[in-house]
Amino acid sequence: MLQLAMRSVRQRPGRFFATLLSAFLGATVIMTFNSMLDTAGASGVDPVSEESLNSAAQVVGGYGTLLVFFAVASTLTVNVRQRDAEIGLLHSVGATPAQIKWMITGEAVVVALVGTLAAVGPAVLGGQVLLEQFKDSGQVAQDVDHVFGPVALATGISITLLASAGAAFLAVRRAAKARSGTRRRGVRVRVLAGCAALAAGASGVGATFAMEKTEPMAMAPPAYGAILLAVGLAILSPALLRLVLAVLEGPLAAFGGAGAYLAVRNVRRRAAELSGTLMPLILFVALATATLYMQGVQNDAIKESGLVRTVDDKNLETLNFVIVGIIVAFAYIMLINTLYAATAYRRREFGQERLAGATPAQVMRMIGWEGLLLTLAGVLYGSLAGLAGIVAFTRFRTGSSLPDQGLGLWLGTVAAAAAATFLTSLLTAHRALRVRAVTAAAVIA
Amino acid sequence: MARRNDHEQTSTTAEALRLESVTKVYGTAGSAVTAVDHVSLSLPAGSFTAVMGPSGSGKSTLLKCAAGLEQPDSGVVVVDGTEMKGRSEAALIKFRRRRIGFVFQDYNLLPTLTVTENTTLPLKLAGRRIDRDRARDILTQVGLQDRLDHRPDELSGGQRQRVAIARALVTEPGVVFADEPTGALDTRSARDVLDLLREAVHVHGRTVVMVTHDPVAASYADSVQFLADGRLAGRLADPTVDAVAQRLAHLGDAVADQTATGV
Repeated sequence: MLQLAMRSVRQRPGRFFATLLSAFLGATVIMTFNSMLDTAGASGVDPVSEESLNSAAQVVGGYGTLLVFFAVASTLTVNVRQRDAEIGLLHSVGATPAQIKWMITGEAVVVALVGTLAAVGPAVLGGQVLLEQFKDSGQVAQDVDHVFGPVALATGISITLLASAGAAFLAVRRAAKARSGTRRRGVRVRVLAGCAALAAGASGVGATFAMEKTEPMAMAPPAYGAILLAVGLAILSPALLRLVLAVLEGPLAAFGGAGAYLAVRNVRRRAAELSGTLMPLILFVALATATLYMQGVQNDAIKESGLVRTVDDKNLETLNFVIVGIIVAFAYIMLINTLYAATAYRRREFGQERLAGATPAQVMRMIGWEGLLLTLAGVLYGSLAGLAGIVAFTRFRTGSSLPDQGLGLWLGTVAAAAAATFLTSLLTAHRALRVRAVTAAAVIA
Repeated sequence: MARRNDHEQTSTTAEALRLESVTKVYGTAGSAVTAVDHVSLSLPAGSFTAVMGPSGSGKSTLLKCAAGLEQPDSGVVVVDGTEMKGRSEAALIKFRRRRIGFVFQDYNLLPTLTVTENTTLPLKLAGRRIDRDRARDILTQVGLQDRLDHRPDELSGGQRQRVAIARALVTEPGVVFADEPTGALDTRSARDVLDLLREAVHVHGRTVVMVTHDPVAASYADSVQFLADGRLAGRLADPTVDAVAQRLAHLGDAVADQTATGV
């Protein structure tokens, strides 16, 4: 079965591009930050530099691993679903479910390994750039040299491989259950996992108030809290998407025409599939709003206090902007990646719709309406999760509930999310529509 | 979308479909294959015609050209008195959804729509009023009155094909094309589907053109049009299973002889 896995990767490399990209980017982020541990561990590094480097690696370790797991999981879920027909074919020629599970997991591991190895070069470069940043801000002594060593390599490979294998395993299991119609337990596990993440997120946000005012890492609990809340909402997103649909269904039916008619039915009956793209959308919005606003509040608070900034504060400032930048960019690319894969997969459906009498323009309008529903749901739930962290942190820092930063950052985030959703899905659909309807509808895989 | 009353008037011409020298070539110069070679054909309204031929005879391509799913390289297609024109896909789709119904071998129902929604989809897409009672009548005719709110994956193959037939009939098209409609069905379901197609012709006055390789299926038609190497190869009226099978066997011989001596 592993041989089959290797062959299927070699024969159809295009199909694995999305998973390869997420493994590559994920491994780059993880190894870039963990190379700070290698750098700190080298002989002759002074204690202040060492602490700065270690805290950088630790903060991103948590965020990064969680994000990489979700990124790989969401692309793999889409990938496995795309191959439903192929998996069915393997079933029918006598492959046991266990063999299929091993094949898909094996493929995921092969792809993750390739992605991780490809990420070594960029991570070495990224680590050097990051180190320069620390040197420029004076948090790390000038004579410290960048080291890309065993810690970076080991964490990069192990986290990416484990996340890929785990996510593939879960994706196949879910697909197999969907086929045999035994979804009940899966739904219950999902609800439990979602609620657990929400509870952990709420306690993270709550922990903000238990900290000393002088705690230099005060941003960590509300930021983690917001991200966990977003993860919880992302896990529960099929139900949440239906909720948004229930509110908007009336107006859409009244004004939207045939495109909206199809969009409403797709969203209602394929909420679970569409939630694969809603997940990265919620995560992106929550991450971007929470971290950008909190960093703004932090900076203002420090300025207002008139105090000379400590090295710790400085550390956090550079660190957070770099981390926020990288993580938000990562979430953004994942969003585009997932949307592309999910839309390209629907080529056959687009063919069937055209055979039933839909013009290409009507199919495009359908995708547009679906994009609108997804964006609204993603912005709503992502903003809620982000807001929880922001309010907690702002109360902690300034005593008032809302930051003075205004709506600009939020609007920017929303605009970026909407642009990614609409541009990616519409452009991908446009390309898929170039295939003749008869050909597209006849495609099995 | 504003058009509410574009219900097609039944054409006064007795001709439902006319092909004039329709040709379709696949591939490029070196490896070009002429799938349909100057085929001219006229089918009267209210007829049920089977198109038969050996594999690769071009019968499926001919059907797709006639139904506007493929653009012929040359020739004219006239459906219900109107010539099929327009180069863009959207133009062809609009032509098709007003005048043509199509039944596919693999149904091509949309999995997210219920039986009723699938049936009325062509009306919805054309911006026409959806008459729920009429949809229910048609679905009752095809025996699915108890399955109106089911989704395709909850139906058997035979039931799915009956939904597809209901969908093809709902717009009251000039011609209904069926491409191997029984190809994926067991014999009993196949018989039901063929009975429905015959009923559409003889009870409701529709025109049906069906591609099939199965002599039993072809025997349900009023006449069989044979095709070999992309050209018409004779016609058989009031076909019986044996007559069709025999004719088809000799058609195969003829093609084999040509191939053996021709190259």
